[in-house]
Amino acid sequence: MFFRMLGQSFVRGRRRKALATITIVLAASLITALMNISIDVGDKMSKELKSYGANINVVPKSEAIPLEIGGVDYNPMKDKVFINESDLPKIKEIFWHNNLVGLAPFLKATVEIIGKEKKHVSLMGTDFDKQIPVAGDDEFRIGVKTVFPYWQVNGEGLEDNDDSAILAGAGIAREMNVKTGDAVRIKISGETKVFTIKGILSTGGKEESAFIAPLLAVQKLARLEGKMQSVSVSALTVPEDKLSRRARHSSESLNSLEYDRWYCTAYVSSISHQIEEALPNVTARPVWQVAAGEGAVVNKIQLLMLVVTIAAFIASGLGISSLMVTTIMERSREIGLMKALGAANREVYLLFLSESAIVGVAGGLLGCLAGAGLSQVIGLSVFGSFISFSPIVLPVNIVISVLIALAGSLMPSRLITKLYPAEVLHGRR
Amino acid sequence: MAGDKKLKMSKTKMFLRIIFKSLKVRRNRVFITFFSIMIGAAIITALSSVYFDISTKMSRELRAYGANFFIGPSASSGSKAIDLPVIEAAIKMVPPGRLIGASPYIYGVVRLDLGNAVMAGVDFAGLRRLSPYWQVEGKWIVVDFDDDSCMIGKTLAKNMELKVGDSVNVVRTETGFQKTLQIKGLAETGQAEDEQIFVNLTLAGKILGLEGKANHAMLSIVSAGLDIDGLASQIQGKFQGIDAKPIRKVSYSEGRILEKIKGMMALVALIILTVTTLCVMTTLIAVVSERTREIGLMKAIGADNKSIVMQFLSETLMIGLAGVAAGLIVGFILAQVLGQAVFGSSISFRIIVLPLTLIPSIAAALLAAAIPVRMTVNVAPAQALKEE
Repeated sequence: MFFRMLGQSFVRGRRRKALATITIVLAASLITALMNISIDVGDKMSKELKSYGANINVVPKSEAIPLEIGGVDYNPMKDKVFINESDLPKIKEIFWHNNLVGLAPFLKATVEIIGKEKKHVSLMGTDFDKQIPVAGDDEFRIGVKTVFPYWQVNGEGLEDNDDSAILAGAGIAREMNVKTGDAVRIKISGETKVFTIKGILSTGGKEESAFIAPLLAVQKLARLEGKMQSVSVSALTVPEDKLSRRARHSSESLNSLEYDRWYCTAYVSSISHQIEEALPNVTARPVWQVAAGEGAVVNKIQLLMLVVTIAAFIASGLGISSLMVTTIMERSREIGLMKALGAANREVYLLFLSESAIVGVAGGLLGCLAGAGLSQVIGLSVFGSFISFSPIVLPVNIVISVLIALAGSLMPSRLITKLYPAEVLHGRR
Repeated sequence: MAGDKKLKMSKTKMFLRIIFKSLKVRRNRVFITFFSIMIGAAIITALSSVYFDISTKMSRELRAYGANFFIGPSASSGSKAIDLPVIEAAIKMVPPGRLIGASPYIYGVVRLDLGNAVMAGVDFAGLRRLSPYWQVEGKWIVVDFDDDSCMIGKTLAKNMELKVGDSVNVVRTETGFQKTLQIKGLAETGQAEDEQIFVNLTLAGKILGLEGKANHAMLSIVSAGLDIDGLASQIQGKFQGIDAKPIRKVSYSEGRILEKIKGMMALVALIILTVTTLCVMTTLIAVVSERTREIGLMKAIGADNKSIVMQFLSETLMIGLAGVAAGLIVGFILAQVLGQAVFGSSISFRIIVLPLTLIPSIAAALLAAAIPVRMTVNVAPAQALKEE
């Protein structure tokens, strides 16, 4: 009898049930989409924030303190130490290798420009877009293109194997009055070489007061084949928290469990630590301007999305309840009739609540599907990539939909069952 | 003629009476309609208010990345330093409320106990606001005229075997100036600052023999909605021999990130707006569908379709306007809660939010009322009355 009534109610009140289901689908899809986005927004934004440049700087371990002011080095070249270029792929073999977005090696030399007023300038060698062999990942491209996307070259870019092309920093180009197409004669340790300026580089940083050439060309010129001075690493990290701050202060203060957790979390400090483990004789230093800035901004955006999700959640919860109230109020006569025919209050509840639960489950499921689609629309149009679907969203959403539907029906069904059947049937309510 | 007028009057009277009665008798229904429109309007108001403020708010947050504006001597002037008053006057040209922090810098090589190092003279109060990302062990120097303390880069401290609280002798060979300073804090940035020693600007001027001078200044400016290149050329135009420019690394990224965040908020707000409007519609459709019998009865006693539709629409419009008004208030309060929770500051009210909330809410409400009424008015009265 119960199931018959339940079935009849769905067949007879098709329109009413459809409306309730649509509302729950809409609300559930909204919550699903927002939940999905707020779970994934941290990763997505930290990828975007990679445009601030490298967040880890790898330099050789050295006792000497560089004395550099405004790009001019007051220390002679001779006691410089280097990193071997052949060690570069090792950085890509650390525990968090998948989080390494880019690497850019650098070698700097102080050179003499022949025939110009200002004699000593720095010449920086780097890779622009080069492929290196990495174990287990045959397509890893390194170079400034991925690490420093804000570098802007006015003119042609450089090819990594072109050893007679050079870029002039915007500052030095103005100072020396050179432009694209000019030839500059560069002298280092007695040897002279002619380079053609292929473009003017604007970065807003210290690179603007230097000449930039492919790494290979600078290595050859400075007779430092296979050497480099620093590597800028761009890594996807999670914001710093209490644990990582403690680990940084002294890693001895962590017990083994905490140490494992720190090591296996993509903190900028643990990734730096792993790079130091992989390469002997280097120091990997987090660039706090990028690392700490990123942490602050990602936390803010996550909080924003969370708060928006909660607000939308409450609103759709209220929306569903008010709809459930309407659909039940509408059926007051039916309830009156059931009671007049001898139904107990309990039975009336059971019928109405099961109806709501069915509507809630159906709406929640459909809403999840629609919401997953909706979050992909946002992901593709804002970030140009898919938002990962967190499986946790599905059960949470269905449970929430059912709970809201039940809560929304409970209040009005109680109200009506309390009334006398005669009163309800008469239509006084 | 008089009869016509009387008929018209009594018709209007009847119309108002039906609406009034309908609002008064079915309080539950009125309340649900009002409530769902209010919720919808509130969420639209709150989100659109947040959306319009997001650029300024996030731009402020992005200042966590430090300086985004540089003032230094121009290459053509040939000088390496600028007079401090010039820098101060240039900093004053930044519109008030936009400047987060600023500090002049002066550099020179000094001798410490165990070797040479680069000394930087800064304005500590400004630097702290300018570079919130500095990881400081120990304390920041807070007093501007503290001539006995210094901060020191982490790498330098390690190499020179110095700790917080130690004293260090600073000697400038060229001027013969010598002073013992106490280390207040160790700074770590991962960049050149790690190898430098920091003292306040006046002390650095005395040590380096360059009093009243600075090599350059760094500024942190809230750039959303500000013509920052215009500001740079304004400053350059006013002071001779000065080079003012946005720091590309930071300002380029900031523009990109702001665009992303704005785009995301726009889409999220749009989706919430659409879904909420649809939710309000389904609820109203349910409320109006309930009144099939009423429509049948009205038709049976001689009302024409047009007046029935008019009556329902006016009723919905009245409740809708009240709902939107309440929704605007609730939504604005909700926006403040959001603003305080996320950014710790209030969200400003914008006039554009009014039509943005009013139009979709009222349109949805009227559409939701019209659909079921139109569907029912064409049915024969007997049929409508028979239905449950």
